[in-house]
Amino acid sequence: MKYNSKYNFLFLILLLASCSKDFIDRPSENGPTLDVYYNNAAEVNAATGLLYNTIWFDWQDKAFHAIGEAQGGNMLTPNGDANYGSGVYNNFKVQSSDVLVAASWKSLYKVAGNATVLVKTFEEKASIIGEQPYLTQGIAEARFLRAIAYFYITRTFGDVPIVEDPVALAKSGDYRVPRYIQSDVIQFIINDLKFAEEHLSEVSYQPGRVNKYSASGLMAKAYLYVQDYANARLKAQEVINSGKFALYADYGKMFTSSAANNNSESLFALQWSAAGGYAIGNPIQIYAGPSTLLKPDFDRGYSSVLPTLDIVRAYEDGDKRRGWSIMEHGYSNPDWKNVNFPDGFLYDTTYMDSNDDAKKIKNGSRCNSLKYIVGTGSNGELVNDGFSDICTYILRYSDILLIYAESILGSGNSTTDAQALDAMNQVRARAGLAGVAEITKDNILHERRVEFAFEGDYWYDVQRQGFDRAKVIIAAQERGNYNYDGTVNSIHASIVSPSQLFLPIPLTEVQANPKLNEAAVKYY
Amino acid sequence: MKSILHSKAIALLILLCCFYSAHSQSRPLNGNLKDVKGDALTGATVLIKGTADGTTSDANGNFQLNIPKDGTSLLISYLGYKTKEVAVGAVENQISIILEDDAALLDEVVVIGFGSIRKANVTSAISSVSEKDLEDLVVAGADQALQGKVAGVTVNNNSGQPGAGISVRVRGITSTNGNEPLYVIDGVPILSERRSIEHNQLGGQAGQSVQSPLASLNPNDIESIDILKDASAQAIYGALAANGVVIINTKKGKAGKGKIGYDTYVGYQTIQKKLDLLDLRQYAGYYNSLIPEINNSGSGHLDSIDEFKNPSVLGGGTDWQDAIFQTGKIQSHQLSFSGGSGKTTYYTSLNYFDQTGIVIGSAFKRYSGRISLDHEVRSWLNVGMNTNLSQSNQRITLTDGSDAVIGIGLYNSPAAPVRSFDGEYATTASIQGNSFGNPKNPVALAELRDVRNVQSKVLGNVYGDIKFLKHFTLRNEFNYDFNVTQNKAFQPLVRNEQTGIVVLSPSRLIEERGLGLYWAFKTYLTFEKSMGKHWVNALIGHEAQESNYDQLIASRQNLVLNLESLNAGEGGTTQSITAGKYPWAMESYFGRVNYAYNDKYSLSASIRRDGSSSFGKNNKYGYFPAASVGWTISNEPFFNESKMISYAKLRLGVGSVGNSSTSGNNLYNTNIRLFSTAPFGAGGIPSNVGNPDLSWESVVTQNAGLDVTLFNKIAEVSVDVYKKVSTNMILQTQLPVYSGLGTDWNDINSPTTNAGEMRNTGIDIALRTYNISRKDFSWRSSVVFSHYKNELVALNDPTASLRGYKEYGNAILVTNTYAGGPVGTFFGFVDDGLFRTQAELDAATYTVDQNGVAVKYIQGLEVGENPVTGTYLGDVRYKDVNGDGRIDDKDLTVIGDPNPDFTYGISNTFTYKDFDLSLFFQGSQGADILNYTLRSTESSFNPYLNQQATVLDRYTADNIDGSLPRYNQWHNNNRRVSSRMVEDGSYFRIQNISLGYNLPRTLLNRVNISNLKIYATVQNLYTFTKYSGYDPELGSFNNNIRYMNVDDGHYPNPRTWTIGANVAF
Repeated sequence: MKYNSKYNFLFLILLLASCSKDFIDRPSENGPTLDVYYNNAAEVNAATGLLYNTIWFDWQDKAFHAIGEAQGGNMLTPNGDANYGSGVYNNFKVQSSDVLVAASWKSLYKVAGNATVLVKTFEEKASIIGEQPYLTQGIAEARFLRAIAYFYITRTFGDVPIVEDPVALAKSGDYRVPRYIQSDVIQFIINDLKFAEEHLSEVSYQPGRVNKYSASGLMAKAYLYVQDYANARLKAQEVINSGKFALYADYGKMFTSSAANNNSESLFALQWSAAGGYAIGNPIQIYAGPSTLLKPDFDRGYSSVLPTLDIVRAYEDGDKRRGWSIMEHGYSNPDWKNVNFPDGFLYDTTYMDSNDDAKKIKNGSRCNSLKYIVGTGSNGELVNDGFSDICTYILRYSDILLIYAESILGSGNSTTDAQALDAMNQVRARAGLAGVAEITKDNILHERRVEFAFEGDYWYDVQRQGFDRAKVIIAAQERGNYNYDGTVNSIHASIVSPSQLFLPIPLTEVQANPKLNEAAVKYY
Repeated sequence: MKSILHSKAIALLILLCCFYSAHSQSRPLNGNLKDVKGDALTGATVLIKGTADGTTSDANGNFQLNIPKDGTSLLISYLGYKTKEVAVGAVENQISIILEDDAALLDEVVVIGFGSIRKANVTSAISSVSEKDLEDLVVAGADQALQGKVAGVTVNNNSGQPGAGISVRVRGITSTNGNEPLYVIDGVPILSERRSIEHNQLGGQAGQSVQSPLASLNPNDIESIDILKDASAQAIYGALAANGVVIINTKKGKAGKGKIGYDTYVGYQTIQKKLDLLDLRQYAGYYNSLIPEINNSGSGHLDSIDEFKNPSVLGGGTDWQDAIFQTGKIQSHQLSFSGGSGKTTYYTSLNYFDQTGIVIGSAFKRYSGRISLDHEVRSWLNVGMNTNLSQSNQRITLTDGSDAVIGIGLYNSPAAPVRSFDGEYATTASIQGNSFGNPKNPVALAELRDVRNVQSKVLGNVYGDIKFLKHFTLRNEFNYDFNVTQNKAFQPLVRNEQTGIVVLSPSRLIEERGLGLYWAFKTYLTFEKSMGKHWVNALIGHEAQESNYDQLIASRQNLVLNLESLNAGEGGTTQSITAGKYPWAMESYFGRVNYAYNDKYSLSASIRRDGSSSFGKNNKYGYFPAASVGWTISNEPFFNESKMISYAKLRLGVGSVGNSSTSGNNLYNTNIRLFSTAPFGAGGIPSNVGNPDLSWESVVTQNAGLDVTLFNKIAEVSVDVYKKVSTNMILQTQLPVYSGLGTDWNDINSPTTNAGEMRNTGIDIALRTYNISRKDFSWRSSVVFSHYKNELVALNDPTASLRGYKEYGNAILVTNTYAGGPVGTFFGFVDDGLFRTQAELDAATYTVDQNGVAVKYIQGLEVGENPVTGTYLGDVRYKDVNGDGRIDDKDLTVIGDPNPDFTYGISNTFTYKDFDLSLFFQGSQGADILNYTLRSTESSFNPYLNQQATVLDRYTADNIDGSLPRYNQWHNNNRRVSSRMVEDGSYFRIQNISLGYNLPRTLLNRVNISNLKIYATVQNLYTFTKYSGYDPELGSFNNNIRYMNVDDGHYPNPRTWTIGANVAF
């Protein structure tokens, strides 16, 4: 009896000592795998939608202003602000170990990499389930996004690596990609844009999405950078003749309200969602906005980048864009309310001591930029911890008009071509300015500067003038600030080497790939 | 209040116990057991001859029995000692007994995986730590207690924060992946990590978030810790054992009269040293000295401040170190009951542990309970269970970062107040329109932010042993670990009402709930038989394990009235919900044979086959074999036992273990990351690049060991040498950024592959000596010495390297390991002094040739042009390491190694009559430290930041021999990572001094207490080191080997003073 029960027991336990085969099969329960995804338009469109958003964040956050504006002489970062490289973008001392160099390199290549992975994924999907319109559209959209990412990369860093298949690169084991000469990078961009132009519809399938003319317009701009004025003119003209775009009447609202997002003037804009908060909402007012506006509600409004005295002085008398782009002493907005300004925000620079902090501003240029500043949300604007919904305009119709005018000017010194004048004067008219009778290299550059001030583009305009002209432009700019006693602490920056037209490749990348220290090679 | 209640309850219990035992009727006898060396024998069985009455000796060798009036004799038996019979007369009530050892240490039992064997038959490298070694150590977790106690195990506290993570490295660095050993508590492997919410969820930097996995286990419940160090021992744990196995067994009841124990200690903790920072007077002087330097530079302006004009009339200002450090308190109370009668034994305990840290805001509390039961159901069936219950509650202060509490404390201006006059938190002080101090007040940050990890855990096993056919035992064991994690991160919105300035914003609450359930079912059959000179022990078994972790994280902000409730938060845009499920399973078969012949030759061979859910169908299974042999030379006929060498044994072993832990789930597949909030709506994007070939990481260890007993058995030495090679490491490919694939949350993650090779060679030496053994006085020592040499032999590409970064956007490289070097090496420029004269500037020959511009450049900076635009007098000169005439990226090189040359521990135990004294020293030699804080505190780049007093001797025109570089706000030449930041991290530490006194039994008998010991301990009394920071013991940030010994505002280990008592009834 004793033995019986013992062996019954033993037998039972030995039975337990084995598992079914799928015991060690535990697929992810948190999301789908690639095999079962991207089988319809909604899934593909949502994926390409992400390319307009969070992956740009590390560049948009600060590098956007530091590179495009501080270097261009439109903005300055107050002394010692480590967030903006302690002012190195104002004096061309940017080094390869700089935080924003790394951040912009990373963010821009992330956009390119994500776009490329999607291109490859959709191509592979098409090879399995057959070509589908939504897959082709997805590929075209992703290639546009890759093009714009590389456009920023090459304008910022010059000769740069191109990676067309990151997965293959990862598997190869040899990650040492060389730098490619800039003109080939531009060619790579144009190839992507040609594909996008061919396969995107004339009208965006959803507001904010790129369309055929976004590609044409960006191509026009890219041609400008390689001085291919004929093609630039051709592409700009296609956009203008399409009749699908117009200048948006309310310039001020365009930059301070998400209600104007994706308006008639926008060909391509980064899309932000305040609801997503950090990395998903538009962060610009967090660093550029004044503390008196944002601090009571959020720990934000660092005023880390401010307009320079030089840009403030650059506006012609009567140019309404000055008031639409810059907050100066006395600026008010009755819609913006907070604890300190229950009756509406007032920009007040009569600062005396620390007890003024909450209501008065003390900063070196006695003004703040206004573009992409939307306030605290008191006017119904969605603001989350300082982040907003307002889109970042990357390519506007006014840009197309000025590209068109400039492409007609070409390499000449001036032009009175009627079409060119008409294009440029449309832009001036909205700003309340009289038309010009002649377009010169100087006045069109000036027009671009004030039209696109604080939109992260002016440095690239200066840069493409070439080293000799850029050197003169930079040397003439006032990059100083007001002393506490009201006198101007005048500072002038200088560039001494053509290499300073581009930022150094991040130190950490060069360490990983010494080939980046070598001379650039041809891609095509 | 709570703790007062506790102690009252305990006092009451003690009293009750006293009265209860006062009932005893027969004559009591108090005895004491020692071995010939004078050491107390714990757990020996004492029986009254001819009866079943008996007891066991306690930790001090004491026992108490009731003797019949007419006297009798006692039978004393103890494993490894000769059984002794002692007659007791009619009048004695006090007796001392000395037991002789029976072939001494050879019959000690050593725990190996799935069983235990006599030490004589051990063939691999196993170290044991007994309850005795853990005594009087005032620590939150048992992992801390291993420091300096075990040869071959390097232990470093990652932080002085109570309950913080500990780096435990068994024989060097096994892999680029996790390096923490597998802890097996009562057969339950601890697979879950204890991790708190990162502080960056509330803004700013993340800080350390990996906490100690053992902090939820009460160290007082531990009976023994055995560490399997080489693969021949580990292989039976297969795919979980790559980093070594630490087997922890908890206490069990012993047959005999029931025992009641109360153990307690209380104490306080202080910081070991403070740094010499400028006070307000010195700071004002420093500030004044900068005014001409900045204003004459031609770029920048510094206002002269009236208040600072005469520093001697100023006070000391805010001492931020005083503000953030405090005196911590520590206490522990434990009540235990154990015993057994007939066929049942039991042990049960309750413990309360409470510690507040030396940095404000940090604390740790634990409640734990334990039940262990064993019962003989039938003559052939034993069943038993162990249950450990605990709840730990840890509050974490943000440390390790330049905007963390200690980091800010180091450079925050003494001109900025902690609080404004009305008692509210202040941020910056504005003096004449200049703002001094950091916008983040570190005191507010530490006190107001509440980041907490609460873990409730039930862990244990239930088992049954069936004996049959004489030599067979079938063991069935069910193990479980049920874990509830409640993580929280909370910060209120705080505004200084006086100034309107925001101190902390926004109010935000993040709550995380995690449910972890692990279970395993083990069945194994053991055959054990001795036939004459042969002895065989064979094992075959099966194990199925499964773990599920289910996580839910919700956050809301803008909380009504700063209420710490998710209900108080805003809906809509600012709230977020995420969830995750992480299933895992493994099924294994294993077998092992141990054979010994005539106590001379022993042999062990094992194999394990693991099938894991971590891999795709191509590579689900891994095989892990091992073999080892032992040869007891001293038992050979040709060996002449001498006084010099009485015992010698040689061990040789080789084995293979694996690692299947990956950083994510299902990495063999390309997974889609779903996102819910995006401008164009929810969707999914690839989260990684799948690798269907992903497979096992393999570790092969070869071990040779020698155990010798020397000098008339006064000294025992064990020496082990080993070589450990890890191949096919599971590595996430670290691609250059331009690939577009990365490792961040919103990157498409680069593929995880098997690549590379890591090699560790080393030597472990353990020496135990019995220096003096007299009746009233004994002195015993123990020395452990560990040395390893780590080399990363290869990665997936000859140019690839393992890199560790600092700052946002990975801007600053601090460690970089190329194939051929040890992991974690610091990387930067080599310091070549300062440019002190114009002649030295002129002699600099660095030129840029790329654009043909004839300017001397260093890393983009001209040399000698002027103080603003370029490298100038007083700036750091870096070495042209590669000799190409230029200072650039190619001159970056290895500037330090965080791996120690060796670590050691020295224990001395003295007993004199009823006193015992132990002295424990511990140290580490030859490791370098990257003192990253110097980048803020010694680099003079911002007039508003405080500095170390050393900057007073910086280079100026009047002090060209200054030791530090000039003030330089214009460019970062002097702030680059360089050998200037690398310091010698060697240290020798007086780790523990403990003095105990056992109250005389004659006194105790009157109150029916069988034993009472009181003791005083000081831990971490003094550290001898050249390191200039707080503490040379830095560990690694979040256990990451890329951040070993990087000091970025580290939480120092405290000095602890305690008094304690152990009472037994």
